[in-house]
Formats: sequence, structure tokens, C-alpha cells
Amino acid sequence: MAPTRTRSRLTLHSQTVAARLDQLEAVCGLVDQGAHSAGFDDRTSYACQLAVCEAAENIVKHGYRKPGAGDIRVTTRSRPGELIIDLVDSAPPFDPTAAMPDDDWEMTDPPVGGRGLLIIRRVMDDVHYERRGHRNHLRLRKRIQAPSE
Amino acid sequence: MEIKTQVYKRVVAVTVSGRVDSATAGDLEAALTALTNESHTNLVLDLAAVDFLSSSGLRVLVTTLKAVRKLGGDVRLAQPSQRAVDAINLAGLDVLFKVFPDRESAIGSY
Repeated sequence: MAPTRTRSRLTLHSQTVAARLDQLEAVCGLVDQGAHSAGFDDRTSYACQLAVCEAAENIVKHGYRKPGAGDIRVTTRSRPGELIIDLVDSAPPFDPTAAMPDDDWEMTDPPVGGRGLLIIRRVMDDVHYERRGHRNHLRLRKRIQAPSE
Repeated sequence: MEIKTQVYKRVVAVTVSGRVDSATAGDLEAALTALTNESHTNLVLDLAAVDFLSSSGLRVLVTTLKAVRKLGGDVRLAQPSQRAVDAINLAGLDVLFKVFPDRESAIGSY
């Protein structure tokens, strides 16, 4: 999809996908486009893809709870050194920022779950959730030192 | 995602390639569960060609590790790609797995 340039330094990408696990790769593709528009390197783009896909997976599994029960609108806003990703869905209220990932565990009993939330928090600089009307709005923001232009 | 299994005398090497996420992790879990059910508990996962590893894939690795350790085995990682390493580190699981720079040394470690 061709990006939309609303201003000279801001690039928008947007796509609505069915809330199914097989759509997460498409979400990653959109994040990759946005990350490269922001001037991120491949490794930082990959980290952002991991974090956003974890968030989208949570919407499918814990929001809608049934595959294909709704959709997710993914919008990326890129400017040099900054990527903002908005995920909007109409599932019942689900606030991923409310859960605290458990990072205090024993080697003899490693954690099976909760890794996705930890990845999101470690990768992103800001994670903000809001319920607006009948929709969940999740905003993730990643900043790096702005590439020289 | 592709999974290839090679059975040695004391070790089973499982080569995983492609994208391991919530859409594909079930297939990996089925393959690894089948091995443990057949009493193969010394496992080497060759992750050289993994280009995406989400928490769903990591969940399978941890679940398998816990299962085989109860039986005296282990899950050891061979030549993981930078992307696999990044995912494991971001998930805080880097202390959990023994990592080897190549497949031969991972197999020989048992």
C-alpha cells in the first residue's frame, strides 16, 4: 500500500485486518514499512514488529477471544527517529497495560506466559491504552536518535 | 515455518526455519511433544534460519524445556539467528537456554 504523506516529514500507513492470527504477518509488514519510513534499522524494525504483533495477538486472543470475531485497524505514523503505532479494535474492554509481566522467576520454574507483555514494555518507549466509546485504542511509540538527513 | 528432524544415537536435532508465531507455534509444539512422547529428551534446536520468533514460539520452547528436564533431558540451541536471539533476550529468557555457535557442538554437548 502506498504511504500517505500528510506533511513533508510525517508518513502514514494504515490497514484494517481481520482479527485472526494468520493476519499478524500483515501487521508486521505494515510496522516494517513504518519503521523504515522512520529511518529505523532492520533490527529495530524487527523489535517493533515483535512488540506490535504481541499486542495484536492479545487483541485476538484476549479481546475478541474468537478468531475472526472482528477487525483491527493498524495505523503507523513515522517521522525521522520516531514511530507511533495505533491499534484500534471493537472487542470488549481489554487493557494490556494493566497487567504487569512477571520478570521475577526461578530457573527451576521458568515462566510459560507473560513474555509478550514483557517484550512490548522492553521495546517500546510508551504504551498507552484508552477506551473510547465501544473501541479499544492502544498506542505504542518507539523513538531512536533521529537519523541525519 | 518448516521443521526437520534428525535422530542421532543420543540426541535429536530439530531444524526450525521461517516464521514462528502464534499462527505456526502449534505445529512446532506438536512436533516437539511427539519427540518427548517417544522418550527423546536430549534435544537440539537449530534456529539458524528462524526469521521471526514471537512469545508463542518461546512458550513452546519453555514448555518443552520444562517437560524434558523433568525426564533428565535438556533443550539446547544451535546457531540461533540474530532475530531468534533478540526475541529470547527481549523476553528475558536468555539465561534459560544453553546456546552453541554451531550444530555440531550442540549435539556433541550431550
